[in-house]
Amino acid sequence: MRVQSLAWQMGRARIMYMSPKDLEDIYDVVIVGAGAAGLSAALGLLYSPQVANERESGQEPKILVVSKLQPLRSHTGSAEGGIAASLGNSEHDDWHWHYYDTVKGGDWLVDQDAARILAQEAPETVINLERSGVAFSRTDDGHIDQRRFGGHTADFGQAPVRRAAYAADRIGHQILFSLWQQCVGLGVRFAEEWYVSDLVLSSQHHSNQADLSQEAAVAGIVAFDSATGKVHPIAARQVLLATGGAGRLFHTTSNSWDLTGDGMALALEAGLQLEDMEFIQFHPTGLGHTGILLSEAARAEGATLRNAEGRAFMTDYAPDHGDLAARDVVSRSIMSEIDAGRGVADPSDPQGAKDCVWLDMTDIDRDHMLQTLPQVVETIQEYAGLDPTMDLVPVKPTAHYTMGGIPITTEGRVYQWMDGERREIQGLHAAGECSCLSVHGANRLGGNSLLDACLFGKRAGLDMAAQLLALGQTEGAVTARNQVEEAARRREGNLLSLLENQGADVPGDAAESASGPTPKNEGSRGDSQSADPHNAYELLARLGQIMETAVAVRCDQEGIDQALAALHGELEPQIKTLRSHSDSRVFNQEVTAIWEVGHLAELADVVLRASAARQESRGSLKRVDFPDRDDRRYLVHSMTAEGSEPSWQPVHILDMPPQARQY
Amino acid sequence: MSGDVAKARVTLRISRFTPRAEQAAKRPSSPFAAKSSSPFAKSTSPFGASSAPRRARGKRWTQDYSLVVRPQDSILDCLLTIKRTMDPTLAFRYSCGHGMCGSDAAAVNGTPTLLCKTSVGQSAQGAAVAAGSHCGFRHTRPAEGFKQADQQPDQPVKATTDRNDQYHQDNMIQQATDGIVDLGVIELAPLPGFPVQRDLIADIDPMLDQITRLKPYLQTDGKLATTSEGKVDVFEYLQKPDELAKYELLSNCIACGVCEGSCPVYAGGNPFMGPAALIAASRFINDSRDQAQDARFDAIDTEDGVAACQSVRACSRQCPRGIDVGEEMWQLISRVGQRQEQDLA
Repeated sequence: MRVQSLAWQMGRARIMYMSPKDLEDIYDVVIVGAGAAGLSAALGLLYSPQVANERESGQEPKILVVSKLQPLRSHTGSAEGGIAASLGNSEHDDWHWHYYDTVKGGDWLVDQDAARILAQEAPETVINLERSGVAFSRTDDGHIDQRRFGGHTADFGQAPVRRAAYAADRIGHQILFSLWQQCVGLGVRFAEEWYVSDLVLSSQHHSNQADLSQEAAVAGIVAFDSATGKVHPIAARQVLLATGGAGRLFHTTSNSWDLTGDGMALALEAGLQLEDMEFIQFHPTGLGHTGILLSEAARAEGATLRNAEGRAFMTDYAPDHGDLAARDVVSRSIMSEIDAGRGVADPSDPQGAKDCVWLDMTDIDRDHMLQTLPQVVETIQEYAGLDPTMDLVPVKPTAHYTMGGIPITTEGRVYQWMDGERREIQGLHAAGECSCLSVHGANRLGGNSLLDACLFGKRAGLDMAAQLLALGQTEGAVTARNQVEEAARRREGNLLSLLENQGADVPGDAAESASGPTPKNEGSRGDSQSADPHNAYELLARLGQIMETAVAVRCDQEGIDQALAALHGELEPQIKTLRSHSDSRVFNQEVTAIWEVGHLAELADVVLRASAARQESRGSLKRVDFPDRDDRRYLVHSMTAEGSEPSWQPVHILDMPPQARQY
Repeated sequence: MSGDVAKARVTLRISRFTPRAEQAAKRPSSPFAAKSSSPFAKSTSPFGASSAPRRARGKRWTQDYSLVVRPQDSILDCLLTIKRTMDPTLAFRYSCGHGMCGSDAAAVNGTPTLLCKTSVGQSAQGAAVAAGSHCGFRHTRPAEGFKQADQQPDQPVKATTDRNDQYHQDNMIQQATDGIVDLGVIELAPLPGFPVQRDLIADIDPMLDQITRLKPYLQTDGKLATTSEGKVDVFEYLQKPDELAKYELLSNCIACGVCEGSCPVYAGGNPFMGPAALIAASRFINDSRDQAQDARFDAIDTEDGVAACQSVRACSRQCPRGIDVGEEMWQLISRVGQRQEQDLA
């Protein structure tokens, strides 16, 4: 077990930079995203022997973390339940069991070499988080405490086991803050509230697409500083994408407003494939129509799902594990109850659709509930106005996690599946929810997302460190810069077209500064834009409805076809006409929203086409028209690029041949 | 059943600001024009900025938005509706939407709070009381509600959409049986004490600078527990539940800045490292694993540290994480005091 040394011991503690005032000619590493995966990668890099040695001798690799949010706002902070590791602090556990649960939870679409690493290195990862400051809940003797979680079992599925290390129900907040604190200690440089608009690969032609028949390598990124509205070319020898998931594809989602799949879309736009995008996990217990997550920990502590008749229906669907069966199983069971007319209406909208079921927490001892589930209780009180010790709480499945993403190796290297082999893109890494290893297969096991982000984020950081020297010398740097600058010029042109909105009398940015500070119409066209048919926020909502109708929890060919027709026939033409209603560049959120909805539309297309191509039901994908798993044809990962049919990559099966998945 | 899920009408009166373009152009036009040899080698003195809060130049105005909502909707819900259906140019930070990310601190009727954790009903009542207004919270008075709905308020800039008018009409029909609630005006402004960047977006970097200056990361000897034979047997630092309880709540701080905006000393522009930074320091001072307690006390035992706190305790009232910030300040002050006495003895 490798235990990391601590920041201050290196004598390097420095104040972080809030924002780069001046950029380097070329960076050794640029990390896009500052949640658990991005920050873990930065720390992995800085704790690596290569970088530690370099820093000892006064050499500093040039590293920049670019994030569209201030890092502490990252969505990692919303994770509630726990992080899985077979520490065995609460009862005997074994990493083989964790390995098995991960593979089974993923319905045997998991690459077993990756899942093996995940389970084996999990204890080390959690312990290093503790040593980084995470305020884990503790056993009476002072060890990290662990709780039960859906799908965590002992003896290969025989009995539930307490494997999820937790910090009350705020584990994500604790991990995010501790990782950020470590980065502060190490003087990591951040570009905050910079939105990355382009990923630039060196074999790119005039179009944005890479020619992947040739060797491709990273050249850098283009970033939009939202505070100033300036477009920056950032050349880099290595880039890591860690931008999180794409929950905003759906109207009802537990994801923050920023989870717009940017990293995945950047990869698509650069001509790369995405893996297994048809698999989107719906968390069974979103709070009514808000989609806000109520942690699985609630059911772990004794809460029960009930239908309109009051029946605890999960025992009908999963006799052995009941309410703690895997998430996809529970979500589908809830939908079956609703379809059978046994759903209930959200009490805040009593006349509305009966598309919820009850979460009954009233059997949990009040003091115990307040102690172990404070966040769940607070969310229910504030956003539903209910008292979970007395009232039944309406819940419905909420889009929660994208299992698919940018295909990576176990070292975090991005690759393309071509001619039956993996071809790596030199210098390009990815980690966390935007990536696909695949350790989650067709359905992620609870407690494995933070683990994946921290563990494989760090491994990617270590791998980038190992490649520093090889890529360190300047060969190609000038070319890379030229390419990135050219991409930035194109982006600047695009930006100008978004800002130059309706009518000839609208001044551009330059004209505005010449004519004084007063933009026309009181600085906004809020009162005069009723002639405008569309804005990005409205189209974002429309897209969420289309996707929710078509592929939330279950789907069929007809629904997918309708959604594709709406996407291409209705939505995409509207997105192309979007313009900003303000010509000011400073915190022009509408500009980033236009890019975000464009990204989501590209991803929606891939999700729909990958869902259509997989004619079976597996894990989170329920094809009503193909209700059974089909190992003969589909024990393969879908690899989908923009505008082409998916190709298929075989699943890595090492130790565990596919079995029926029953809970 | 009547009123409990009835729609209500509210006017959000929002302080708006668009900076002039020159401000945005201050940074070098080419990002490659100026560069340092190392990203770690040169400080740009992040503390310089906080000492003299600059008042950015640009266009300032107040804009009213009239919406039909449910009283239990959060103010953030309303602002998102405005962005989607009325005015996509309105700028405000938001992310998770349920009080975990700390992005959306702003002043509601002058009081700093998180927009996603403040309901319209709760704020509108406050506004009516504060302003002694006649158009405040009317719970179940259909007649007056009807009149209110009919009236066209004369506002500086009125933004209404067709869709909103539709709501409007639905509501007028509904009120005949259910009654309508007119929630009056809610005033929104950026978080006090920080420079405004655009509309409700404030520059909170000064707070983050002050937090980072206090070395907010666990400092330990890094030693591993060993058995009597010298073998490592425990890898995590041990911490009993009662030791955890001493700082667990403090570790829940999300650095939203509500306490800072509430503090008359900090928001008043006096030299003060601010309650958020002190909470961050206290989080580590009270963590049994941390071994830099002395240095941490030294760092806050300064004129602009605990000495600047005047125990107003306004910082406690709106903390979205339920931290009694004022009490924590008081504990720090008394512990710093004891430490000084020990030094003298």
